[in-house]
Amino acid sequence: MRRARDWWSNAWGRPRFLLLFTLLYLAWSILPILIAVRFSFNEGRSRSSTQGWSNRWYWGDPDLSVWHDPDLKNALFQSLQLAGIAILVTVPLGVALAIGLTRWRGRAATASRFTAMVPLVTPEIVMGVALLLVFVYVFSFIPLGTTAQAIGHITFSLSFVLVIVRGRLLAIGPEYEEAAQDLGASPLRSIRLALVPMLVPAIVASAIIVFAISMDDFVVSAYLSSGSSTDTVPVRIYSAGRTAPSPALNALASLTLGITIVIALLAFGLWRIVRSARGQRDSALADLAG
Amino acid sequence: MSWTTARRSDLFSGLSARHPREAGSFSRRVFLERSATAALGLSAVGPLLAACGSGENGATPGATGAAADLQLARQDNPVKWPIYEDNPPIASGLEPEGGPLKIYNWNGYVWPRILKQFGKEYGVDVQLTTFSTSDEAIQKLATGAVDFDVFFPFPDRFGRLVVGKILQPLNHDYIPNLATSVWPSLQDPFYDQGSQYTVPYTIYTTGIGYRADKISTTPYDLSNPYEIYWDERNKGKTYLLDDSREAPIHMLLKNGITDINTEKPEEIDVAKSDLIALTDAVNVKVSTDDYTNIPEGKAWVHEAWSGSMISAPYYLPKGVGPEVLGYWFPEDGKGTIGNDMIAVLRSAKNPVLAHHFLNYLLDEKHGYDNFVNYVGYQPPFVSIDPDKLVTDEIVPENLKSAVVRESDFDTAYFLAELSPAGQTIWQNAWAEFKAGV
Amino acid sequence: MSEPPRVGRGRTGFWAGLALPGVGWLCVFFLVPFYVILGVAFGTVDPIFGTPQPAWNPLDWDTQAFDFVFNSLFSSGGAFQAVFLRTLAYVAIAVVLSLAIAYPVAYYVARFGGRWKGLLLAGLIAPFFISYLMRMLAWINLLQDDGWVNDVLLWAHVLDAPRSWLDGRASSVILGMVYGYVPYMILPLYAFLDRVDRSVLEAARDLGASRFHAFRLVTLPLSVPAILAGCVIIALPMFGDYYTPDLLSGSPHTSLVGNQIDLYIRGGQQVPVGAALVVCLMLMLAVLMAYYLYVTARAERRLGR
Repeated sequence: MRRARDWWSNAWGRPRFLLLFTLLYLAWSILPILIAVRFSFNEGRSRSSTQGWSNRWYWGDPDLSVWHDPDLKNALFQSLQLAGIAILVTVPLGVALAIGLTRWRGRAATASRFTAMVPLVTPEIVMGVALLLVFVYVFSFIPLGTTAQAIGHITFSLSFVLVIVRGRLLAIGPEYEEAAQDLGASPLRSIRLALVPMLVPAIVASAIIVFAISMDDFVVSAYLSSGSSTDTVPVRIYSAGRTAPSPALNALASLTLGITIVIALLAFGLWRIVRSARGQRDSALADLAG
Repeated sequence: MSWTTARRSDLFSGLSARHPREAGSFSRRVFLERSATAALGLSAVGPLLAACGSGENGATPGATGAAADLQLARQDNPVKWPIYEDNPPIASGLEPEGGPLKIYNWNGYVWPRILKQFGKEYGVDVQLTTFSTSDEAIQKLATGAVDFDVFFPFPDRFGRLVVGKILQPLNHDYIPNLATSVWPSLQDPFYDQGSQYTVPYTIYTTGIGYRADKISTTPYDLSNPYEIYWDERNKGKTYLLDDSREAPIHMLLKNGITDINTEKPEEIDVAKSDLIALTDAVNVKVSTDDYTNIPEGKAWVHEAWSGSMISAPYYLPKGVGPEVLGYWFPEDGKGTIGNDMIAVLRSAKNPVLAHHFLNYLLDEKHGYDNFVNYVGYQPPFVSIDPDKLVTDEIVPENLKSAVVRESDFDTAYFLAELSPAGQTIWQNAWAEFKAGV
Repeated sequence: MSEPPRVGRGRTGFWAGLALPGVGWLCVFFLVPFYVILGVAFGTVDPIFGTPQPAWNPLDWDTQAFDFVFNSLFSSGGAFQAVFLRTLAYVAIAVVLSLAIAYPVAYYVARFGGRWKGLLLAGLIAPFFISYLMRMLAWINLLQDDGWVNDVLLWAHVLDAPRSWLDGRASSVILGMVYGYVPYMILPLYAFLDRVDRSVLEAARDLGASRFHAFRLVTLPLSVPAILAGCVIIALPMFGDYYTPDLLSGSPHTSLVGNQIDLYIRGGQQVPVGAALVVCLMLMLAVLMAYYLYVTARAERRLGR
């Protein structure tokens, strides 16, 4: 009790105030999501008063649940599909880009490095408009829809992979490749055998991030969509959120959130297994948090 | 958007606490030099794109020289469109193709089961693509890069599609139901005399929907019913349709301007000022989801389409009956009226099948099923008795003003096409209103 | 410099070759679209359909769309001027509020996190995995007339009657933007504050400064670059935001630049005006963007040490 009293008597010392502030912030930040997830399990239609527990909005309701409403189910699959394509294309492309750009020298190299960073600072609506106009008026052989959306996702994710992998590359330095080449390996082999294994944490981190970016993307997916069959989850949340949202929307969002977390944990766990198998000692959160 | 910022923020983990007075190789001169190089590079792209663009996309089909052909059809100025030599109707007596039948329609505007039934009867696949705004549809069709078979046009952008040769003329031998099911007046409408390019789909009026249980004064109680929008007791619950024609038209009518297809800047200005005034007065909002906003209680007063009011009872929460809904349309019939159509696109790969589909929708039973089971907008069929709709309780008694009769077309104002210049003035006025000046 | 490898000096082609697919992709799907925006903005409009006819050759460029935009932008009472000023105001307020929230939190976690640091960090990173729109949706649910915000305020007797938060208030939109973007400011601030050299602070304390003075005279001035960077990081996406006002308010009174761009681009008749607006927006943000790229390039250089 005395400890509690001592703690309390110092209640407005700065650390205590800051602690309270931080806790309040965390609550303000995370509670609304938890509440939204709670309502996705509502028995009734309300999103503002708790009405029992039910999986109605996930698969129970034969018309309105995520499983049975083709619009919602389709949106989930479309989001996952685009995220999958984005990872498969962006990560290899981005890793090659990072390695190439880091080692390349010259004016063209610097110009390329600069260009590759510009997508990071471009507001999404500019990207969306640019891509829409290009697909309608120049590359019109590519129809709007999944192909165009996938291209858009890859384009804005590329810079992120570049930044993460490049950061790691710069920290690693060229010594390992040089050692491999001293031992007789060709540049390609030395990259494959010496460099890439060291990049695995960065590659895993960038894959997770590409997944999250792609799942979260709204503007580009909306602009390049060809109709309700190629709407992604954020697009569906936006259009339904303005009109007649039902707890099914909460369910859809919760499912997306759950999937993202599971994938992130899986990738993280997988990497830790690989890491301990190789006996490496890199910091876990380093590449993820920067 | 979150990850864009996320990764930017991650980059700054590289910043240290040392005083940032380090020499970098990034000087202003170098920056200018590089931008110049970049600019030069980009301007070289121009000719490349010109070659690229014209190869794949080409000029808008039919645009050259066709601007002069565009006639603005009006009720007192009916138009019979020409049949162009390079766009003839298909021959009679052909067998329907194997599909798939591709349909391009508004979102939620045709019953999915009807599409399945048609597909089963003809043994074809039916694919529906939807659009949510008329501009979106026109843009897509104008690029020419589509291969839909069936399209659902609307009269205020229809003439363009004809002179632009986007639609193909119909062969009525495949559409016998047109003569037997549809009102005679709409078999030969003013906007398409002889129904050469279209058949009618649904009819609707635009009035004011409201929640009778929430508002104290209804439009019926006011001498100028459009003043209901200014009722401050409904602040925050007043909606107009999110449409650059429909919303300003109610402002025109409030000021006694009856030519709803006017292109006079001063009249458009009156409408615009009223819209802007509404924002200040009652914080007016815009939406095209009148069929859910009113039953859900989001809106107490909502500019609404008649078909939306007829489907609205379905969206009422449990325990609330349809008597809370109301629909006002001028009693002298002098309000907005219109009808949507169905047409076959010139680029159709299955034109015969498309004609059969039009005929299918014009079948009395199918059209009626589509109406009462899903769409809520009436087809203009002689077999549908407006009074019977109310007595059969398809339409609740208090919403009977939402039922459209053939005679309504004699008095009401038809929402028709504008010239491109006029369209631009209207759009600018709408954009100014939306900017919240 | 750590960048040039001692081996492979003559292998520029090899490295360029590795980078080429990525660079090529960005050229085709990023640079070309930017030029297309210019082409459309300086192009004309089809007389019938109103669809844009882009002009690719700079010699053919037509300034009609820009004339319209500049006219509305620079005349008082013009629609675009009102919208741009409103956007500037909202973003400025949102950034300041975000900073007021982000800095204390980042400071606490960095300096006093102790053994809870991992957990707190996880809490700070969590919003990154939650879709922005889902977070907005969560707030829409709470801000409804019968939502929990009104319930709590009524219970606490702060309000007498439920207030309609979603009917077009600037405050709802600004707070929504703060809620959405503040996590992205916390992380860089945290990362920076985490690396503040404790010995400098200890020296200040040894010289007699109170905790507060040490903060004001040492930590705060050092944080300025990080603060600026954090502000730029969240300001850039805020300028293009149009979905937040759409979701949290339906009213024209809160419409931002993004909304106007969206209206003109998807509105059919005047796409060149929309494209011209995009160009204007980019010009306005060019300074911020350049600042960010410059600082990032410096940071990357330092990473290699």
